[in-house]
Amino acid sequence: MLDLLIMLSRFLFVFYIGFFLWQGIVYIAYEQGGFLGSPYHAVSIQRRLIILMHITAFLILAYNRELGIYNWQTVLFGAVGCVFLLAAIHFLDRFYYEGCPLIWTGMLFLMDTSLIMLQRLAPVLAYKQLMWMIIGLVGMLLLPAFFRLIPRFEVFEWAFIIICFGLLFCTKIFGVERNGSTNWLRVGGITFQPSELIKFLFVFYLASVFRKRVEWKEFIVTGVLSAGVVLLLVLQKDLGSALIFFMTYMVMLYIATANEFLFFLGMICASGAATFAYKIFSHVRVRVAAWQNPWVDIDRGGYQIVNSLFAITTWGFLGSGLTKGMPKSIPVVESDFIFAAICEEFGALFGAGVICIFIMLLYRGVRIALDCKRRYYSILALGVITMLCFQAFIIIGGVIKLIPLTGVTLPFVSYGGTSVLVSLMMMGLLQWVCVYCEQHDADEETSPVLETEGGQGYE
Amino acid sequence: MNNMKRSIRRIFWLLVLCFFLLLGYMGKLVLMDRVAISTNSYNTRLRYVDNTIRRGDIIDIDGEVLATSVLQNDGTYVRKYLRSRMAAHITGYSSVGKTGVEAAENFEMMKLHNEFLQRVMSIATGKELVGNSVVVTVDMDIQTVAGNLLGNAKGAVVVVEPSTGRILALQAYPDFDPNTVSANWENLKDAENSPLVNRATQGLYPPGSTFKLVSSLAVMENIQDWQSRTYECTGRASFENKVIHCYNKKAHGTVDLKQALTVSCNGYFAQMATEFGASKLGEVMKRVGIETPLGFELAYSKNKIGLNPNATQSELVETAIGQGQTAVTPLYMAMLAAAIANEGIMMQPYIVDHIQYTNGKVGKYTVPKKLTKICTTAEATALKDMMVSVVENGTGSAASIKGVTVAGKTGTAENATGNDHSWFVGFAPAEDPKVAVAVLIENSNAYGSATPIAGKVIQEALKQMENKE
Repeated sequence: MLDLLIMLSRFLFVFYIGFFLWQGIVYIAYEQGGFLGSPYHAVSIQRRLIILMHITAFLILAYNRELGIYNWQTVLFGAVGCVFLLAAIHFLDRFYYEGCPLIWTGMLFLMDTSLIMLQRLAPVLAYKQLMWMIIGLVGMLLLPAFFRLIPRFEVFEWAFIIICFGLLFCTKIFGVERNGSTNWLRVGGITFQPSELIKFLFVFYLASVFRKRVEWKEFIVTGVLSAGVVLLLVLQKDLGSALIFFMTYMVMLYIATANEFLFFLGMICASGAATFAYKIFSHVRVRVAAWQNPWVDIDRGGYQIVNSLFAITTWGFLGSGLTKGMPKSIPVVESDFIFAAICEEFGALFGAGVICIFIMLLYRGVRIALDCKRRYYSILALGVITMLCFQAFIIIGGVIKLIPLTGVTLPFVSYGGTSVLVSLMMMGLLQWVCVYCEQHDADEETSPVLETEGGQGYE
Repeated sequence: MNNMKRSIRRIFWLLVLCFFLLLGYMGKLVLMDRVAISTNSYNTRLRYVDNTIRRGDIIDIDGEVLATSVLQNDGTYVRKYLRSRMAAHITGYSSVGKTGVEAAENFEMMKLHNEFLQRVMSIATGKELVGNSVVVTVDMDIQTVAGNLLGNAKGAVVVVEPSTGRILALQAYPDFDPNTVSANWENLKDAENSPLVNRATQGLYPPGSTFKLVSSLAVMENIQDWQSRTYECTGRASFENKVIHCYNKKAHGTVDLKQALTVSCNGYFAQMATEFGASKLGEVMKRVGIETPLGFELAYSKNKIGLNPNATQSELVETAIGQGQTAVTPLYMAMLAAAIANEGIMMQPYIVDHIQYTNGKVGKYTVPKKLTKICTTAEATALKDMMVSVVENGTGSAASIKGVTVAGKTGTAENATGNDHSWFVGFAPAEDPKVAVAVLIENSNAYGSATPIAGKVIQEALKQMENKE
């Protein structure tokens, strides 16, 4: 009987994510002037779909097959998770009045997928993840109040980059090694990843510098400092983060200067640097070899990636059904490789849906950056969303063997306290920009749209 | 500001392109690479046993059950191989890992046709859930004759239908009993004569004189006056620092291509090879598909071409007579013979014919597919004619069958492991080929021992095919 239900649930999950995305399209179509349905209905349907998916999944997860009874601990956790989701939906609307609703629902969908998958893989991690989500959400709700207290935080540009380097040097000196990278720091009883924290500061710093006209001086100073950050990350063997920071810098520089030449020059330099890194660092060579042909070294270097491919391809488009797959055969499946586990049990179609949710988030983030009339907020919003989406791209690409694997987390989905916290704060920042621009652009319709600090406009 | 908006849009499209690359690559993984990746023996998911489902059967083309699952008292299923060793290298085993058809069609046999209905019925009536059955192209009558003829000689027999690429028999010895693989695992896995290796598809052997079929093609294409060209065989010929002997140092006298192939004259082919050179021979070798992936369902070894365009003359002449570094599987040699029989078109070999569902319906028929074209129709016809002469007047006379024109080529391959390997590849009837075979006997004591076996296998195969018509 349970097998029959699990078999049917596979269709249900694909339906949930498909219908969820369709409602996103309905909303966007309305905004663009078309009409496929009411946008208000679309968002409320999306919210209901998240709750329904949560309930469906926990009904399956809570059933103990051997004893034939429901596991009350899991049921309770499911209920707490459900309350959390409902509370998040409720409060986000209140605290971010007029924020983009699609970003909220997309984010919550991913977070719910994370809770379900972690409950399936390792319930203890799911509890911790939920705790971090709650902390992150509270921090996010306080964010608008914080910005109201310190209105012109862009003047602290030097503070941001100094803290960045401070944290990085601390990690280099006091760092703890995990999974081959020395990018963890322990303070008190808590270990966290400074590379996650500095994402926030790094974007702030760049946006603050680039809000003014970008001259040679700014270009060189930011270039050298960013290269320093990237280099320190490479030395900590945190290649994924290094790549993310580099791309974020290039993208922010590009939109601040609108100079294609610089962008391509940066890419060429990066290729050169990558080749150089390949020559001198053995761990880079190991990664590339495991990507080029994992099949020759299945027992060691290729083990992770090969198992990930087995997980994704074995069960096809609809997956094995929740609890029926073998995702635990993949090392660190709960963080870096959670996407493979999702593809295995929910099916490759659901996995494609997750990618589409990231596309939706990207679209909405870019929309905010485009609609914003202030240069500073525009750059900030784009920096935040690029960083998040590029991170999603390199980890999913690594897991499906499109690009060499670099160990970073999948935002909102992977297990990782710092990652969840920072991803949530970044979304909060994006939404705050959206709300702030909605409120202030109207007042400043007639005033100059550019920051004019130093008496110089850009155009 | 407008510049900035344009830049933002461009960055957006760049990232969207990245995400679409992800979607496209995932689609490729699941649609195209799925079977190749998921049937890898390292995939622990292959060992996944769902005891609520009875695994489907493996059935031969006439409906004889080769492997089936039987319910035990403790509620688990145990796999029974009704023909045991006779079909061991086809069925493979499903206990300590999976091989053969058990591995290739693992998921098909675990899959429920019309799953929803079966599950509902099972809840309502308590009927067991049964996976789909796999029907293989193999005819156990031919397979049995081949197995008995092979007896206790190490080697392999492959029988294939030239016009489709259907495998009619695939026999290899040493073999194993799939029923007791898990009990005997420790002995089997390290056994000296490697019984778990399917010599028909995984054994790599020097082709010996059977390779002269390929050399003949190279001669026909690169020697303008090949029809009138003759060679004076003294039983011995020297090239640079390499001396070539004909078998038993026999002098064949004046030979043309047809005569050279009929008596398997090494001197002729060595001499011709030095005239057109290594790069021309290499071209022909590539074209006849020695290195082409066969796309076969069961595990197979890739053939090796041991000749580069700058090869020394001794390497070249060795290759031209089938010695040297080139190594092929019996499966490939059967396909080569089949391609000559099929007017130069090599068909992709296949062993899974179709799937039989629990409700009696059938589906998923394998559609015969052209693999490559090895030569023109005219060349194939000329080669066929010469191969008939091999069996009628030459080294292959032991394969002749009363009332049927058999075409073939024998081979004796020197090797590092002891006595010469004995080969025969061929097809029959020459006028309208129905079957092609390749027989290999490792370290054969008797000269040409593969040839009479091939004759008898062809005879049986033709008889079986006639019965069916």
